Amino acid sequence: MNLSLRDFDWHRWRLVILGGAIIASILLCAIFAPWIAPYSPYDLDVVAMLQSPSGAHLLGTDELGRDLLSRTIYAARISMQVAFIAAGVGLVFGTLIGVAAAYFGGLVDLVLMRFMELLFSFPAILLAVVLMASLGTSILNAMIAIGIVFIPGFSRLARAATEVVLREQYVESARAIGMSHGRIVFVEILPNILAPLLVEAAVAFSYAILLESALSFLGLGAQPPEPSWGNMLNTGRGFMAQAPWLSIVPGAAIFLSVLGFNLIGDGLRDVLDPHMKE
Amino acid sequence: MGRLIATRLAAFVLTLFAASVVLFVTISVLPGSAAKSALGMEATPQAIARFEAQRGLDRPLVVQYGEWLTKTLSGDFGISFQNSVPVGPELVKRIPVTLELATLAFLIANLVAIPLGILAAARHTKRSDKTTTFAATLLGAVPNFWLATLLIMVFSLNLRWLPPGGFTPFFQDPIQNLKQMIMPALSLGLVSSALLIRIMRASMIEVLSSDYIRTAHAKGAAETIVIRRHALRNSLIPYMNVAAVEFGFLFGSAVVIEDIFRLPGVGSLVLVGIINRDFPVLLASALTITVFVLIVNLIVDLAVGLLDPRRITGSRA
Amino acid sequence: MTEPRPHALPGGLPTLRIRDLSIEFERRRGPPLRVVDRVSIDIWPGEIVGVIGESGSGKTLTSLATLRILPKRAGIAGGMIHLGDTPLHDRSEKDMRALRGDRIALIPQDAMQSLNPTMRIGRQVGEPLELHSGLAPHRAREAARKLLEAVHIREPEKRVQEYPHQFSGGMQQRAMIAMGLALNPQLLIADEPTTALDVTVQAQVLKLLREIRDDKGASIMFITHDLGIVAELCDWVYVMRNGQIVENGPVRRIFTAPQSDYTRMLLDATPSIHAKPLVAQ
Repeated sequence: MNLSLRDFDWHRWRLVILGGAIIASILLCAIFAPWIAPYSPYDLDVVAMLQSPSGAHLLGTDELGRDLLSRTIYAARISMQVAFIAAGVGLVFGTLIGVAAAYFGGLVDLVLMRFMELLFSFPAILLAVVLMASLGTSILNAMIAIGIVFIPGFSRLARAATEVVLREQYVESARAIGMSHGRIVFVEILPNILAPLLVEAAVAFSYAILLESALSFLGLGAQPPEPSWGNMLNTGRGFMAQAPWLSIVPGAAIFLSVLGFNLIGDGLRDVLDPHMKE
Repeated sequence: MGRLIATRLAAFVLTLFAASVVLFVTISVLPGSAAKSALGMEATPQAIARFEAQRGLDRPLVVQYGEWLTKTLSGDFGISFQNSVPVGPELVKRIPVTLELATLAFLIANLVAIPLGILAAARHTKRSDKTTTFAATLLGAVPNFWLATLLIMVFSLNLRWLPPGGFTPFFQDPIQNLKQMIMPALSLGLVSSALLIRIMRASMIEVLSSDYIRTAHAKGAAETIVIRRHALRNSLIPYMNVAAVEFGFLFGSAVVIEDIFRLPGVGSLVLVGIINRDFPVLLASALTITVFVLIVNLIVDLAVGLLDPRRITGSRA
Repeated sequence: MTEPRPHALPGGLPTLRIRDLSIEFERRRGPPLRVVDRVSIDIWPGEIVGVIGESGSGKTLTSLATLRILPKRAGIAGGMIHLGDTPLHDRSEKDMRALRGDRIALIPQDAMQSLNPTMRIGRQVGEPLELHSGLAPHRAREAARKLLEAVHIREPEKRVQEYPHQFSGGMQQRAMIAMGLALNPQLLIADEPTTALDVTVQAQVLKLLREIRDDKGASIMFITHDLGIVAELCDWVYVMRNGQIVENGPVRRIFTAPQSDYTRMLLDATPSIHAKPLVAQ
């Protein structure tokens, strides 16, 4: 198969590519942080505190003299980790519940989906905050809490997509030839509901980053001295007049990550939408 | 119509009960004992045991819930663990603050989103549409607590036009109240509007490609009439469903925004409850916010029913 | 090729004259796609003209072009359209609006989708009067009631206040016809108005259309793929295929002695139970 770069439909994938480029850059920063960051994020240098951007510190220093650029780069690790794991938790469990509900129907469906609807009626931040209060503040718990917040959304989507698949013939035939439930789910159902789930996953990533930052901002997520964009914004609050860069930089980092994932989500939705007339 | 209202109300009440159970169970497993938080880290095991027994924290959950439910239904929201003050009055004092914040933010969001969404849809595929969508995409990625911080830096610290925080009741001093509320409401409302612009636009585009719009054109109606008389009502229906969810989200975000601007609302009470491990405070305030969200959903549901005649009447003569 | 055409007025102008009309669709990549190619159709006063063809033959687009309400990506690429002595093909949008619903009316396919689900029938049916005659809404509603009566909808006072989903399929179609009749148009374009209807209801709608022509002298462009209806209702027939007119002639001759292979194929494909006495009305 001859696929040259020119044949590729760049226009159609433009949003995904743009978003992907942004996220890839951030991911690279996260992965290669020790090599990219000029300083350690924990190095105190009280003499150099609250310095505005300069040659030595490209983005300035915080209230304990730590280099802001390095902290921002390292904080990407936490955000990305939480985003992937939380979205993963939501995706896996949500899909399990949604598929089970649609597949087994009846009482199972009723009970599961009513419970999902109930969880869904709580505003996400409130639920996350309450869960964090319950579980205790730590990064791991943040991942779990945010993951739980995502489960209802994914389950609803998975259920709807599975319903569509179930109406098709091939599941009937699979059951007729005696395929086990498990195999049916993995071989017949899952591959066919993947598309909308992926789009939702991209949105979940961006939302996870927002939620994690909000939780850290409130002091409920990553604890100092661990750098998280959220808790960096929080400390920045106290120095808004003297050191505005402490508030601008972490927020911009959150903005870019959220933007990147949103673009990927929008782009995937456009690409996978059968109604697109272009 | 009566049946519609009745079923919705019943669902509302049931959901409310279920939500209270979920919150109760989740919060009651608060680790880092409430006792230690109230009595201090050096509290003796006996003091802790006495504390818990006094407040019935050693009994089975079901019993605790039953008691809580009966008390709450009669208006008693419990006593704060932290300072032994009844929760009820404090809660009631804070409700108007959060309501004002959420309502202002929602108003701003809709005032921005509906006209811009309609405009973008009417100019679909032209430059103004692409610019609006692009701007909405960017705006939607902005964390509202970051926007809040930026607004404070510009308008409070730099220009000194607006106070960076605090709250004066509206009827006491309307001007000051609005000065204090405008930035919080903008931080919430503008970011919300980003999503709503795209929803309105999508809804309107969908409606504008309907056959009945073609009929309107075929009768000789001009574009403005088509949009105002035919398209608007039909596109508002799906829009309002999403707007309701957004409104709920606003109440949740109030937790963060009230913290930033030091607004004494129910949201900041939630935080107080968490920091102090104050179970009654946290439960009451979290539940209150949930009630607001459920009420909003109920109202929108009924409003959509009013807008859409297919829901009210039956079909087929 | 000059077959006698009863409705044609010697020295007069046809109600509608389409000459060499071509319609093209813009494509994102590549040259525009021509979907209607040099089509010519005449419709004389009081004539019911059938435009037959299969799906995709371009019949609907031709009718939309006449009203100049083509979909976004489509445009007139050549040819002329005249309503009497009034050119339509290059008329300004503002001037076209004055004609739409007034001198030319469209009765579109799929009445259910063509009615606004959240607007009362009375308002929709009376809207042409609001738009063109400047009637106040309540006056227009009164006129709508009379229009519903004219299309034989029973209990019009009650129906006027109802919503489209409360009407049966046949009633919806008749409501659309009432909407089209509101200002006594010279030309009615009926696009597959009977496709979704039961045969008995179909017969009522056809009878109604004939009445309109007989009582008001309106011309009707009847677009359809149903040859049986054409045989029953139309005076003159145009056969379209892939955006082109393949043949045209008086209904009787077309059905008994088609000149084109395609027409012959269409006729052969029609189930024989439809072969009714071909008496043009």
